[in-house]
Amino acid sequence: MKVVLASSFVPFINGGARFIVEWLEEKLAEHGHQVERFYLPFIESPHDMLDQIAAYRLMDLQDAGDLLIAFRPPAYVLRHPNKVLWFIHHIRAYYDLWGQPYAPEPNPQNQALRKALITADTQAIGEAKKVFTNSKVVGDRLAKFNGLSSEVLYPPLYKPERFRCDGYGKEIFVVCRVEPHKRQALLIEAMAHVKTDVRLRLCGKASSEAYAKSIEAMINDLGLSNRVIFEDRWISEEEKADLMAGALACAYLPHDEDSYGYPSLEAAHAQKAILTTSDSGGVLELVEDERNGLVVEANPRALAEAMDRLYRDAGWAEQMGRANFRRLSDLRIDWDHVVTALTA
Amino acid sequence: MKVLVVNNAAPFVRGGAEELADNLVQQLNLTPGVQSELLRMPFQWSPSERLMDEVLLHRTLRLYNVDRVIALKFPAYLVPHAHKTLWLLHQFRQAYDLGEVGQGLGDEGRDGVIKQAIRTADNQCFEQCQAIFVNSPTTQDRLSRFNGVASSVLYPPLNDEALFTGGAYDPYIFAGGRIGPGKRQHLLIQALALLPNFKSRLVIAGPPDSAAYADALTAMVSAAGLEGQVELRFGFHPRSLIAQWVNAASACAYLPYDEDSLGYVTMEAFAAGKAVLTTTDSGGLLEMVTPETGWVVESNPQAIADGLDQLTSSPALARQKGQAAKAAWTARGLTWENTIHRLLAA
Repeated sequence: MKVVLASSFVPFINGGARFIVEWLEEKLAEHGHQVERFYLPFIESPHDMLDQIAAYRLMDLQDAGDLLIAFRPPAYVLRHPNKVLWFIHHIRAYYDLWGQPYAPEPNPQNQALRKALITADTQAIGEAKKVFTNSKVVGDRLAKFNGLSSEVLYPPLYKPERFRCDGYGKEIFVVCRVEPHKRQALLIEAMAHVKTDVRLRLCGKASSEAYAKSIEAMINDLGLSNRVIFEDRWISEEEKADLMAGALACAYLPHDEDSYGYPSLEAAHAQKAILTTSDSGGVLELVEDERNGLVVEANPRALAEAMDRLYRDAGWAEQMGRANFRRLSDLRIDWDHVVTALTA
Repeated sequence: MKVLVVNNAAPFVRGGAEELADNLVQQLNLTPGVQSELLRMPFQWSPSERLMDEVLLHRTLRLYNVDRVIALKFPAYLVPHAHKTLWLLHQFRQAYDLGEVGQGLGDEGRDGVIKQAIRTADNQCFEQCQAIFVNSPTTQDRLSRFNGVASSVLYPPLNDEALFTGGAYDPYIFAGGRIGPGKRQHLLIQALALLPNFKSRLVIAGPPDSAAYADALTAMVSAAGLEGQVELRFGFHPRSLIAQWVNAASACAYLPYDEDSLGYVTMEAFAAGKAVLTTTDSGGLLEMVTPETGWVVESNPQAIADGLDQLTSSPALARQKGQAAKAAWTARGLTWENTIHRLLAA
């Protein structure tokens, strides 16, 4: 069929929100569908946000294709007789982040704006034939704020077959952007408490040079430079797969993320258990304690203990790693399922 | 510098403008210090009252994280930006010249109001542009006549000039490009029918506008018994194959009726050092095709036959004109590098 993919974007900013659209585009084409993709501009500026949303609403894509799949806000206000959403997030400052430090000040004007936004969203999202979310967390928010039901459709990895497992060594492997929110620092602190010979490898580009320096300083100050490797650079997909293949397990402990995060999926495809924390949000939709990973309190001692357990019983780490791979099919995290669900 | 190229889009339709936009982005990205991407704005122009919505919605959108905009078409160029350069491929012709010949919006009633709204929005936008380029003298004339706006002609360069290296001058004439009544390939066949002793061959290759016209050409060839002299190759051919045909031809023939612009067919021939046979009413390409660089004849079979006869009876002359064509092409400097330079200098 002819499928229109519609999302919003900020020109020259790349990231996860584009990947999911472009990967889907490729998979739809592989399944024989004709695809047309539109990225439309949008900025979250209080004074003209509603105007821009109205502009989206005025666009006419009603005769464009047999199906329109909308992603990032406010693409879901587009009108189409067969509209399906893969809903990634709300305009969060007016939803779950409302009233928090970086959200707009809750003055009467912003309160009115918030009310108008929620009303418009509820109507537009409600028009969709089907609403899928990328996580339970996001689905719960749709229920809570908009009173709308949805179904979870987990975004798979792009070309996951590149990941493999060559055994279970001494290293806990971490790959993601290095920034406070991803809490590599907590893992380094934990390494000061381990009792075994377990190693930690941190890979990924730091959010700033200053932060990279502070991470390096921390490793040195704690006398961990022989057991913690920090590679502050962009790692190619190939190298990532190679490094992950021999790891004992992977760790991923962002603070309260919406979705399970691609690093978790990568670990599952490489058949590694995931070490995470009870406050990591969406990661917990994938990881169940002692089944396909370990879920512990977000403090250095608990993490150290977990790392030691994995090190002392590599067979158990392996067992959980294999279970993590099976978890992918339990949750139907694969592109065939995604394409079928969205085009049904 | 972040340069956003802005174009309109009809879902699931691709044509020359889409290709140009893609190439512009690609060439901008090859320019040191420049980053570029494409914004495609969906455009629905019917029923006519839609056009009011289109004008309004485009003016309401906001761009962030963009240093410059290069906009190509209505209504996409209406999206506001402080540093906007227009490279206009054509206006929304229903509100301008097509209205005058009864194919666009009329002057009365609702359509008249809509037409006026479009013209007002256009004029406001043009006034705020840093620079206005157009793709042809025809677009330039219309812009000047209807909007009183001055502009500079900036021809879109070839996207794959490197393929057109030239080469031998084998005994055939190549007629490339779209095949249809407006491109008048039938005149070439009618001309050949008047030349019983024609020693060369004619290769006509390209996508036909209609099966009917393609069938008519086939029938004309067989009626005149020209199967040995005329090769008809209908269809979309790979660019490399088209380049091979051009590169080894003794000359090229291209007789469109009143073309807006130089036309890619002419540009490819000139880049490859081939003289071009054309007609006095072919429009934009006459800016390049002259008696020095080709043959310009009346658009009737006899005159074209005379031109073809001259062309084939003196290979040395064809070669000489071809060299002159190459020199004229090089002198023009119609490269992506120069084009980007002009677009960004504004």
